[in-house]
Amino acid sequence: MKRRTFLQTVGLAAAAGAVVTPSIAFAADKPKGPNEMGIDAALKAVTGGQKITPSEKVHLKAPEIAENGAVVPVTVEVDSPMTPDDYVKAIHVFATKNSNVRTADVMLTPANGIAMFATRIKLGSTQEVLVVAETSKGEFLSASQSIKVTIGGCG
Amino acid sequence: MESRKSLIKIKPKKYKTGEVVKVSFMIMHPMETGMRKDKKSGKIIPADYVNEVKFFFDGKPFTTLKVWESVSTNPVFTVGFKVPGKGALKVTYKTNTGETGETTKKVKPKG
Repeated sequence: MKRRTFLQTVGLAAAAGAVVTPSIAFAADKPKGPNEMGIDAALKAVTGGQKITPSEKVHLKAPEIAENGAVVPVTVEVDSPMTPDDYVKAIHVFATKNSNVRTADVMLTPANGIAMFATRIKLGSTQEVLVVAETSKGEFLSASQSIKVTIGGCG
Repeated sequence: MESRKSLIKIKPKKYKTGEVVKVSFMIMHPMETGMRKDKKSGKIIPADYVNEVKFFFDGKPFTTLKVWESVSTNPVFTVGFKVPGKGALKVTYKTNTGETGETTKKVKPKG
């Protein structure tokens, strides 16, 4: 494992844990999640190394400041006719600095009518949330937004 | 067998055949990351999270979600759905610990 990646993941595991349970003080051995994966590896797994293009067709709605890092609402909508010959077949949502950047992969079909997905995610620290939409034509389109997470402190 | 509370919501409540509605699946689940320590024992609380959700209409799957532990506790997942007509929605889930469950809701378009 590259040193930078190693340091990143160890640090992030600590940060993620700290936000999820702010009352737990961190010991010297920081717990690592069972599914650690960095953004580079995750994107490669999703696209097979193909190009990802930022696109205005991908609309990412998320707060600029997360009041509570444990419950951050994220909504993705992709402009698409959602017909059998032109639809969004998957939406991938990544929390780029969590120890496991993957949050959800949404496999859609024309039966959905619209390419849309909403959920709430945990963010371990201020970071970019990146969404990648895969179309039936084999394109990978993306959008991202930075979300500020205030850690620790009451109120 | 222990049954976890989950439900399906359709918005708007009144819809017609051919309309696109939003279907939400909500489930009471801790979504434990496997990175937290128990305060008393100091031991890691094992990862326990929903990792797959499937949506079916009249038995046919139309949406599949792969989910990881970064999704919030008591998760909600919302997707679009073009109403084909009267029928039954079903959502099934699985967890990394092997737990499974399902919930259903009737689809009753007005017109």
